[in-house]
Amino acid sequence: MKCLKTTVVLLLIVAVFSGAMFGLNLYTGPIVEANNAGAVFAPLLAVMPEGAAFGGDALIYSADNAAASSLKDVPASVVSVYKEANGLGYAISCTAESTYSTAPMEITIGVSADGKISGIQIESYNDTAGFDFRAKDPNYLSTYVGKDSALADVGIVAGSTFSSTAFKNAVTEAMGVLIANEMIAEGKKSDDQVLTELIPTVAPGYTKLVDATASGNIVKAMKAENDTGFAYVMTEGDASFLAVVNATGVCKIYDVTGAEVTDAHSALADEAKNAAKTAQKGYVDALTKKIEKMMEGAAEITALELDTFNTVAAAVSFKVGDAVYYGFNARSIGFHQMDIYVVIDANGAIAKLDAKQFIFEEEYFMAFGGMDTPAYKAGFVGLTGETFTGEQAMIATATMTSNAMKEAVADAFASFDSIVKGGEQ
Amino acid sequence: MKKIVALLKGMPSALLVIGAGFVMVAGSDLRAALGMGAAVLLSVLLSSAVMALLNKVIPAYAKLPAYLLVITGFVSLISMLMQAFFPVVVEMLGVHLAAMAVSMVAFRQSEEQVLSVKNALVTGLFFTVIMVLCALIREGLGSAAIWGQPITFLQDYKISTLAGAFGGYLVLAVVLALINKITGLNKEEVKEDN
Repeated sequence: MKCLKTTVVLLLIVAVFSGAMFGLNLYTGPIVEANNAGAVFAPLLAVMPEGAAFGGDALIYSADNAAASSLKDVPASVVSVYKEANGLGYAISCTAESTYSTAPMEITIGVSADGKISGIQIESYNDTAGFDFRAKDPNYLSTYVGKDSALADVGIVAGSTFSSTAFKNAVTEAMGVLIANEMIAEGKKSDDQVLTELIPTVAPGYTKLVDATASGNIVKAMKAENDTGFAYVMTEGDASFLAVVNATGVCKIYDVTGAEVTDAHSALADEAKNAAKTAQKGYVDALTKKIEKMMEGAAEITALELDTFNTVAAAVSFKVGDAVYYGFNARSIGFHQMDIYVVIDANGAIAKLDAKQFIFEEEYFMAFGGMDTPAYKAGFVGLTGETFTGEQAMIATATMTSNAMKEAVADAFASFDSIVKGGEQ
Repeated sequence: MKKIVALLKGMPSALLVIGAGFVMVAGSDLRAALGMGAAVLLSVLLSSAVMALLNKVIPAYAKLPAYLLVITGFVSLISMLMQAFFPVVVEMLGVHLAAMAVSMVAFRQSEEQVLSVKNALVTGLFFTVIMVLCALIREGLGSAAIWGQPITFLQDYKISTLAGAFGGYLVLAVVLALINKITGLNKEEVKEDN
């Protein structure tokens, strides 16, 4: 009897508390649900205009369930797209990852209904601390606010080129989704912006551009920081053009459609060449001295003009006995600015390769056990444009230097090909 | 003071063994410390009151399971309320909020303690004071912040170790040692042992 009474009491305790929890859940359940929804939407609201709200059906795209969404042409960098409840715009979560990232950045972008960025923030940054562009330019994110998809005047952070470029590309891709699905209008780029954005395509060797002196028909002047040439935005009447002049003084003119129009605008080309000539740093003398050291008996060293706009800043032809060789000084950027000297024989095979310095700040590379430089250089001898795959340029634990070497050698072969095809200039 | 010492008899040593885990998780942020302290105070107070009411109905052999049910029930109810109104604190406490029920049962060892509402009040308040003291030290000196707000002039001088587990145990041990010294509790315990 006593046992039964005890059991009943214990069961009653259970029943009372179960009932209390059930009742309390009816009251607190909706509050908890609202809290959870708020936690999800808090980062989105932070980038949206004032008065924005997100309802239960705000999510219109999720990378986890892409097939269920009606949105098309969504790149892999876009994680989710939310539609604001009052027609104020959209919020997009995306990721950005640069070539040397160890982990992607998570970004939230707010785009108002008129197609302008209302807010942008980095939710998490898990990459190498030294690559964080916010430390170098705390106001960088604010340069995006108020811009449409053209992102006019939004530049790259000096010293964090890779990560800030990846960030800008992610923003462009995110806005591209809204444009492709006709949710916002595409921003109109100015001729200046279109021509400036053409530079990486027509002059890939201009690794980083800095402002230079503008004059005459030149409305905007830019110098490649690795001294491989100049880029000018020029006007002729109402039309705008891009002039690129490489380090050997060769100039090409492009219009806003990207078409080359040098022959039709020779006056502009001459003006651009003259402007570049006065400011261009010469590398022929340094290359000549280097060739004399690298190749015993080098004679008749003659500077060449190049038709390429890559990282090659100087080119010479010379003879050793009766054999003809071509020497190139490529200025690609690895961990720091590099000067790489490539000597190619008349058959297109590398005869010799050297650099001012392969590995910088050796104490930085904790795992760097030392490099067998002679063996590394010898590994390039005999390679041609067909047999060079880039793998031969790899240096363990030195990814940036490896990529710079790969680029330099590839550019030397490209410049050699342009000489051989076009004849010596 | 003597009355307080009498009430606190045995608590510091027991708290070191049973409550140390909670101090680790909740003692590095003042908000979490107050949240945990309030949860412990309410749960032991309410469970003691209910057990006192049910004392004559429940036989001696069923008192422990009954107490376990009651305190677990109250901890669950308090957790639900905190989840609704203090979600940030619940996120900080994590699973330790639920685990508190078991520790409180172990901590309240004797029947007298279980039934005594006054004892429950003192236990809860003492626990909260310890938590708050540890949190003030750990958050202030370890994270250079108070209540989640950074203290600018301390940013360059913060001792990060204090915010971690080792620092937490260190701070708890020092705080309890100080309390023992001030209240003379250690002398009372030594006298009893002898």
